[in-house]
Amino acid sequence: MNFNGHKISSLILLLIVLLVISMLLSLFSGDMSLSAWDLLAGLSPQQSLILWEIRLPRTLMTAIVGAGLAISGVALQALFRNPLAEPGLIGVSSSAAFGAVLVIVLGGVVWQDVSVWQMSLSAFIAAALSTALLYSIATRNGHTDVALMLLAGVAFNAVAGALTQLLITFSDDSQLRSVLFWMMGSFANLSWASVGIVLSLVLVSLIGLWRLVKPMNAFVLGENVCIQMGYEPKWFKWQVMGFSALMVGAAVSVVGVIGFVGLVVPHIMRLLIGSDHRLVLPLSALAGAILLVVADLFARQILYPAELPIGLLMALLGGPFFLMLLLNKRRRI
Amino acid sequence: MGHDVSKDVGQFVDIEVDSLSFSVHENRMLNRVTARFSAGQIHCILGQNGAGKSTLLKCLSKELSPSEGGVKWKNHPLESFSYAQLAIQRAVLSQSTELSFAFTVEQLVRFGVEVRGHCEHTAEIIRSVLQICDMQHLQARDYLTLSGGEQKRAQLARVLAQIWPDEPQNPHAFRGKWLLLDEWTAGLDIKHQQQLGRYFQAWAAQGLGIIMVLHDIAFAAQLADQCLILQSGNVYSQGDLLNCLTQDSLREALEINARIEVDAISQRPFIYPIIESF
Repeated sequence: MNFNGHKISSLILLLIVLLVISMLLSLFSGDMSLSAWDLLAGLSPQQSLILWEIRLPRTLMTAIVGAGLAISGVALQALFRNPLAEPGLIGVSSSAAFGAVLVIVLGGVVWQDVSVWQMSLSAFIAAALSTALLYSIATRNGHTDVALMLLAGVAFNAVAGALTQLLITFSDDSQLRSVLFWMMGSFANLSWASVGIVLSLVLVSLIGLWRLVKPMNAFVLGENVCIQMGYEPKWFKWQVMGFSALMVGAAVSVVGVIGFVGLVVPHIMRLLIGSDHRLVLPLSALAGAILLVVADLFARQILYPAELPIGLLMALLGGPFFLMLLLNKRRRI
Repeated sequence: MGHDVSKDVGQFVDIEVDSLSFSVHENRMLNRVTARFSAGQIHCILGQNGAGKSTLLKCLSKELSPSEGGVKWKNHPLESFSYAQLAIQRAVLSQSTELSFAFTVEQLVRFGVEVRGHCEHTAEIIRSVLQICDMQHLQARDYLTLSGGEQKRAQLARVLAQIWPDEPQNPHAFRGKWLLLDEWTAGLDIKHQQQLGRYFQAWAAQGLGIIMVLHDIAFAAQLADQCLILQSGNVYSQGDLLNCLTQDSLREALEINARIEVDAISQRPFIYPIIESF
């Protein structure tokens, strides 16, 4: 359990290299053949269009969303003082999805065309409200009841899911198709504008949370310990809730619900480098980006030419992983 | 610290509690508690379960704000200090801490040092407090795998690191610093209780004010300078050990029988609690 500086810097280097490799693989795989050679030799107009308008936005967005989801997992785990908290698991993502669908279906009537901004905002508000509500249910006097948190999460998922279904029954055919595919999580057809929006929201949240790594370390020792060590817990909690909801809202509004990234990635990072948030936060961002870029690569290849929704793929991978964590916990008790 | 108080540091009243009350849902946990705690001394709070000892300690550390009355911290209202300002003047060890994340002991102690902001002697401080708490051989261990007593010592090391002086050899090294400990002996073996008790006395002589909640009156009588007895939220008595720890007060406030002898040399009471059969 000794984490020396050398090991950590080589791990960071390794993750950066892996991220670059996976992003290059993602760029050069797809329907149209496009290789690094073509890039050097000069691209045809068609190739150039595909690279700049389809592949690059998609690859960037997967990386950004992966980083954002992993970090929101880290933040929520610090808030609930428990490594099992995850936006998908405790119903924050599905609440955000409800917020986004609300704008797609009802907002479509009011504004004709719904922008990513509007969806992000609505998803953010829903995510923030559900986090605050869940926190007030599961946490008393700074002590989180983990079973209650997970059960309340089940209820949140059920309610948000039902409300979303209800909205869908009101929607017309074209809305229905886009809502359904979007709900399963998809990176198809992304514009540069939406990449820019999500990137800026995730960056703001990342910087916001990075300022809080010290109080995060104190807070997981206990809310009273946080006070004793000189950090204001109230303000800290609002910030963590706000920034994680911002990231979940941005990610969900663009690509739908993708679960388990925030559970799997921080867990593996903690096994590798320990629990200090100063390391867990940035390394989870890198690893989350890698995980989602690779998962997206698989989602595109596995049923080629059909595309598997990436949310589905992550649930297939993450569900068993979560079960394994629970079994491990049971064995320890 | 404008003026020099080094000459009467032992007498300088640092914390005053002025008719402080604390209630939760009509339930009065503390009732008009008035007490004074002077720097450079070890104060021991005694009382039965539910007497309000931990609640008083939490009011002193600003974890709880009193319903009425208040705390004066070094002649200023406690509320006028921010948590960050308090964190560099006092460190607190709570009764129990729960943790679900795997920190190493070394990391945990480092968090304590970081409270002080930028610090040049971080490695030195960590080494010192780990050695005092007898944890150096466990510094790389995962906190969650430690025994209860070891976890307590690790937390104590973190707490000490928070207020550890830059020059520990200085005769006034701990001046202005306070240590609030809630049942720090729970789970510790006698060896470590005594070892740490010796350190506490040495640091008190260097100006550290210590307020501790204890249940072991015999140990308290060995260690403390001053004593505060709480009885269902009220102050039963406060003062030096010989005045406070009498057979009558123990029978009345703590409802225990004990034999008390005064040691001729140290002038400390020796207390032997007695179990009487039914």
